[in-house]
Amino acid sequence: MSKQKSSGLLPYPVIVAATHGDVDAINAVLKHYEGYIAALSTKRLYDENGQPHLCVDEGLRRRLETKLITKILTFNAA
Amino acid sequence: MKPYSHEEHKRHAFDSFCKKVLRNEARDYYDEMKRQRDREVSFSELSAQEMDMLFVMDEYPSEKFNFSVLGHAVAIGDELIAQAIAALPDEKRDIILLAYFLDMTDGEIGAMLNLVRSTVQYKRTSSLQELKKFMEGNANE
Repeated sequence: MSKQKSSGLLPYPVIVAATHGDVDAINAVLKHYEGYIAALSTKRLYDENGQPHLCVDEGLRRRLETKLITKILTFNAA
Repeated sequence: MKPYSHEEHKRHAFDSFCKKVLRNEARDYYDEMKRQRDREVSFSELSAQEMDMLFVMDEYPSEKFNFSVLGHAVAIGDELIAQAIAALPDEKRDIILLAYFLDMTDGEIGAMLNLVRSTVQYKRTSSLQELKKFMEGNANE
């Protein structure tokens, strides 16, 4: 496990299962990229005082998740 | 350095694939937002003329009030005006319709109705007074 964490990569069996549409495996993939998705969907918004706030754009976050799910299925893991 | 096994290679490929998918999708999203911002105009910024172009009102002949004068059909949309005109005597009504709805001059109307031009003018102005009285009376009710 510690070896996986250090490499930052998903285990090969999970990848194969996800590309075949296994729900648990796809969830594992989504979980794995959760942070990256959140980072991509974070926007800097300014309030009336000009103070910057970081907000996660929920619409974009869902959209990225959906896109990732549909694209996972096209990956050739063999 | 130990060459990657096939599985190891696939794991890296999958990782880069997923990141690329997410990155491109996020970029698409921001491009769409930008495109929308460039083209979007808020309603309050539209001029009155542009606002008027956003809708059409249906016009039905049955909702109009039809008069006929010397073979011409005249349709009037406003109910109050139609009532006022209907309340006029025949000759005066004809003169009003010819003058204001068919854009004829007093002389032309006189020629068609066998009247002198000044008579037409007199009847026309007095008809206008009658219309005014009728419509004001109606509005006061």
